[in-house]
Amino acid sequence: MKVLFVMDRRNDAGSIQAVANYIRAGEELGHTLAVYGREEAGFPGVRFSLEAGAFDYAVFVFESKLRWMSGVQLAPVLSAIPRIRRAVLDADGMYNQRITLDDYDRNHASEQDRREWVAHCDRLAERILQPTLSPREARVRPLLFYGYDPDSRVRPAPEKQADIVLVAHNWWRWRELSERLLPAIEGIRSRLDGIRFVGAWWDGAPPWAGYLGLEQAFSVDPERLRRLRIHVADPVPYTEVIQTMSQGRLNIMTQRPLLRALGFVTSKYFEIFCADTVPLVMIPPEQAEMVYGPAGRELSLHEGMAEKLLDVLARPARYRELVEQVRRRLAERHSYRQRVIELAAALEA
Amino acid sequence: MSPRKLLFVAKMTRFARATFTISRYARAAQALGHEVAVFGEESSEFPSVPHSLDVKRFDFAVFVVCDASDFPDLPYLAQLLDAAPKQRRILIDCGGRYNDTVRIEHDFNHLEKIDGHQGWEWIEGFQAVSDKILQPTLKPLRPDVRPFLFHGFDPAEVARPYASAAEAAQAWSSRNGGGERLGVAYAGNNWQRWTQVRKFLEASEPLRKDLGGVRIAGWDWDRRPEWAIQLGIQGVDVDPEWLGQIGVQTQTAVPFDEVTSFLGQARFSPVLHRPLFNELGLVTNRTFQTFCADTIPLLALPEDLVEAIYGPEARLLRVGDDTADRLRDMMRRPEPYWEAVLKTRQYLAQHHSFERRFQELSAILES
Repeated sequence: MKVLFVMDRRNDAGSIQAVANYIRAGEELGHTLAVYGREEAGFPGVRFSLEAGAFDYAVFVFESKLRWMSGVQLAPVLSAIPRIRRAVLDADGMYNQRITLDDYDRNHASEQDRREWVAHCDRLAERILQPTLSPREARVRPLLFYGYDPDSRVRPAPEKQADIVLVAHNWWRWRELSERLLPAIEGIRSRLDGIRFVGAWWDGAPPWAGYLGLEQAFSVDPERLRRLRIHVADPVPYTEVIQTMSQGRLNIMTQRPLLRALGFVTSKYFEIFCADTVPLVMIPPEQAEMVYGPAGRELSLHEGMAEKLLDVLARPARYRELVEQVRRRLAERHSYRQRVIELAAALEA
Repeated sequence: MSPRKLLFVAKMTRFARATFTISRYARAAQALGHEVAVFGEESSEFPSVPHSLDVKRFDFAVFVVCDASDFPDLPYLAQLLDAAPKQRRILIDCGGRYNDTVRIEHDFNHLEKIDGHQGWEWIEGFQAVSDKILQPTLKPLRPDVRPFLFHGFDPAEVARPYASAAEAAQAWSSRNGGGERLGVAYAGNNWQRWTQVRKFLEASEPLRKDLGGVRIAGWDWDRRPEWAIQLGIQGVDVDPEWLGQIGVQTQTAVPFDEVTSFLGQARFSPVLHRPLFNELGLVTNRTFQTFCADTIPLLALPEDLVEAIYGPEARLLRVGDDTADRLRDMMRRPEPYWEAVLKTRQYLAQHHSFERRFQELSAILES
């Protein structure tokens, strides 16, 4: 099978790491997968192609932006691959009814926005896929999409530079961090070594946030981070994410409330287990167990956060064993080879 | 020719692009027993131009591309490309995008800084839409482009169809409705035209007292816009202080259906093309529409283009380094120049009418 991914090419965000893995795993299975576009520096492991007509299927990867391609750019794909062979991966849960959580996170600012998204996707593709096991819309087919690549594990492990590392952009995360994680850290800060947040917008919202009505999505209190001696650093390209995570004794994975409510998985769900670290995932224990198995429950950072953080640092061997259990399960059930097979089945269904 | 149903795909705007031309295709189609509509929902802004989303009802989809936004957004683009197979699509490249990157002075055919598209994306995008790509020039650079001037002359649009040059010259020389007539009117947005506008104004400056007022209508003549400063784009240069000092009035853009009357307020109206267009020999709707106005068009265009498009009589209307002398002579003895205008109108009606364009386009579609 030949599958062409059509996506916003960002090397430090979104689904690019997953797509690089699809390309590699697909090749092992005899499939050809590529990203639409010209060869570009900064994307190792990604095959690009402009020959849309040479592919059986196109998968449009939609994140938070609807119009990341102009008609000029889209025309070659739409002309070469008919609707029946086009699919949309709705990574951010936009193909849903309008959802607003606690007057904070949301998929659409208005009903008109929602209608526009849905019409856009409906016209574009025969199939709509979402990375969840339980989509809410009848037309959506579940496809976890993101996966685990055992070969990406970091060996040898780099020297630890911090107790806690968080690799993520400040995008709909501040409320949870400021109300739950930071108070926990405040209580035990003197017992922790370095803390690093790596990603965009931890030092302030981008200048265009207000213009787009997205102030809340980027809200942050840099002064509070400074007081807590949390070092913020610029985002790293997808090829350095696992290495960066591995610099921390433990890593925290947060997920924006909307995606958590929708039961979506993301690249980070799996990527963090490739790093030489103890991942703590800020999702409910039952959700962690569903994806990671019984050991995942122990790695859920949900209640008693301060105690959990200290416990991981105090008993690393115990947690490393839990992490190994999760890795075995992920390799068995969530490898990219498995994902490629699932994607092929979803496209041919 | 059997009746044709053509669906134009273009962004319609009252102040720019090919709106005037498309509106005339709609009119010509009706007269010839064909049908023309613009892809989209009915618009109260363009009551004389039918719109339709029913792609399958049309024989051909004619993409008219001046800018990237002439391509419809999703979901409409998918609807269009899925419903009209490639052999029933044709593309008219109004801005010479379908070429290697060409830079003339500070004018380009690929302006990635502004529209985010690299040269290859234009090529790929156009080739995906159609195997038939046309450009409004007589001498396309690429072998796979067909020449098709697209824009045309509408004799019915002529504001005052004089019977003779003497009559025209007399009307032109007299006062206009009791008020002083403008000397020069120019309608065009400030995009890659400043060098030529400035040159023309400097050349005509010694005659200003005799010539009368000068008015320029279009976007961004009152100041260099902030986005151009930030992006370092020179194509929107302007010196509003100098314009003020020499008494040039600027105003906002004129809607496409009021351009003819706007130009007719003045005795002269220059026809200027962007440096890129001069290089590629591209014509615009103003190339022809200016001859509909009650004014003497001043053709500040390359000599070979003037001859090839307007015919031999138009040579007299061409201005270059001799602008001041030529204007002085036109004001002193207008009749021969009006003779040239009237004969050029006849030439345009014969060679560049929209009926003629329709036939040319049909021949290309059938080929």
